[in-house]
Amino acid sequence: MSRTVFNKIVSERWRGTLVYALGILGYLLMIVAVYPTFKKTMTAKSQLLKDYPKAVLQFFGVKSINAASFNNYITIELLGLIWIVIMAAFVIAWTRAMISGEIHDGTMELLLSQPVARWQVLTSEGTGLLVGIVSLAVVTAVGSMALGAAFGAKVSYSGFAVFLPLGIALGLAMAGYSLLLSALVNDPRRAVMASAGLTLLFYLIHFGGTYSKVIDKIDWFGIFHYYNPLATLDSGTVPVKSILLLLAFAVVGFGLSLWVFQRKDIK
Amino acid sequence: MPDTVIKTSELTKLYGTVVGVRDLELEVERGEVFGFLGPNGAGKTTTLRLLMGLLRPSAGKADVFGLDAWKDSVAVKEKVGYLPGEAALYERMTGIGHIKFVANFNGNGEEEGFNLAERLELELERKVQTFSRGMKQKLAIILALMKNTPLIIMDEPTNALDPITQKLLYDILNERRNDGATILFSSHNLPEVERMADRVGIIRQGTLAGTERIEDMRAKRLRNVEVIFDGELPAGLALESLPGVTGIETLGNRIQLKLKGDINPLIKLVAQYDVADFSVTHASLEDVFLEFYEEAGVDTGGSSPEGDAP
Repeated sequence: MSRTVFNKIVSERWRGTLVYALGILGYLLMIVAVYPTFKKTMTAKSQLLKDYPKAVLQFFGVKSINAASFNNYITIELLGLIWIVIMAAFVIAWTRAMISGEIHDGTMELLLSQPVARWQVLTSEGTGLLVGIVSLAVVTAVGSMALGAAFGAKVSYSGFAVFLPLGIALGLAMAGYSLLLSALVNDPRRAVMASAGLTLLFYLIHFGGTYSKVIDKIDWFGIFHYYNPLATLDSGTVPVKSILLLLAFAVVGFGLSLWVFQRKDIK
Repeated sequence: MPDTVIKTSELTKLYGTVVGVRDLELEVERGEVFGFLGPNGAGKTTTLRLLMGLLRPSAGKADVFGLDAWKDSVAVKEKVGYLPGEAALYERMTGIGHIKFVANFNGNGEEEGFNLAERLELELERKVQTFSRGMKQKLAIILALMKNTPLIIMDEPTNALDPITQKLLYDILNERRNDGATILFSSHNLPEVERMADRVGIIRQGTLAGTERIEDMRAKRLRNVEVIFDGELPAGLALESLPGVTGIETLGNRIQLKLKGDINPLIKLVAQYDVADFSVTHASLEDVFLEFYEEAGVDTGGSSPEGDAP
């Protein structure tokens, strides 16, 4: 790893990461502040949710109809979809900048004309991304616990603690394939579109699995098969298998990215 | 250190079906200033990027200081200061930030970077996004030279520079040459190459048409000469008998011709008559290319059927 490259990526992206973190906190504050009111109408809400099609509930990550619980509420309002979108946007923007963006801007030529190996560039910037993903996951988990407690919710501390590794693993899995696409596609806009498209495809496969058994059979292929925030929050136990499989996505993606980048022409 | 700093053997780079360079055989000796001359798309930038390990050769190999430019690129880059063809810098980083960034890789060069910035009169406190094109080029030059490396590779170094800064850059490069550095630079500007280089390599369509020492090139260089005589054209003026004279055209009392080689016999001949005006212009780059291609047997008719190199 190159400390110089790591410092460069951190100094370039810390402001953006801070904006994402503040955005998550702001959104959390907004939804958690509404939670007490929401809780009062839980019966009506629960009834309402019971009338929702199963597929729609699954789209928002709802597996049980206990609308009153803070876990369920935070899953519907944040972790089931919004948080995925935020994390995907953060990761895709970062990985775009790592390879295709830096080549497109011409700065990769400056960087690689210094005595630094390509694998060092990628691992250093990847370490920066890891720090960013961990930061957003920590802000989400700690923010949910702190704000939930502040607004009188019954917070599952163990649940949010075990959500942390799951959330980090999901972010890293996204980073794996996004980085690979950034290495493969020269045009950064196309790299972003391909990464966003693949993320959406994984989500739609997961969503479609509730409608179709055929689609459900291929759900294991996508990352969202291994991401179940409500079950993790409710159980309070680390979903080791899911985390390992998400990390496998990350490792394979990073390994292939490295292989491609090591051979890539910098034009 | 080996005497041959750069050596390429059958170096080839293809972009699909497009030829970047083909079978390039190039040697640059230690302490030499080598000018790489060619029109846009000839393969100059491709060659320099191959030497920097930025491109992977399709065939052949490039050695720098005896090291493989692709496989040992990190070790190579410890010894090379490189100026890319287009000065792409980090827009949100300041000039100082860039100098510190590059110095951090090498563990030295920061002080030299600031000295060079002072000589080139570049404000380093501003972010690069506020820089003009010329300022960006100055900063990129500083980043290439601040490490005091034994080899300097520059891709069209005077791009976007005003004449005063060009002169400063020539002075700095001369100092580096005197300190023993080897310099390889590309250009499509013949006077610049003549001014700086000890030896020149001419490339077109990805093929090296030839290499020549600058003094040899000057000796057989084409000149366009125009003589206007005072009064009528002298009778019995036997210009065609002079060595190296071709393309004589007469219009009234005016004669235009092309001269290759020593100019003194022509001067002595016309000095026997009353001359109203005598002007000599250097042959165009295109003329020089044609000269080389004819010698090298390279097809000069239009662009390559395989396309131009990036």
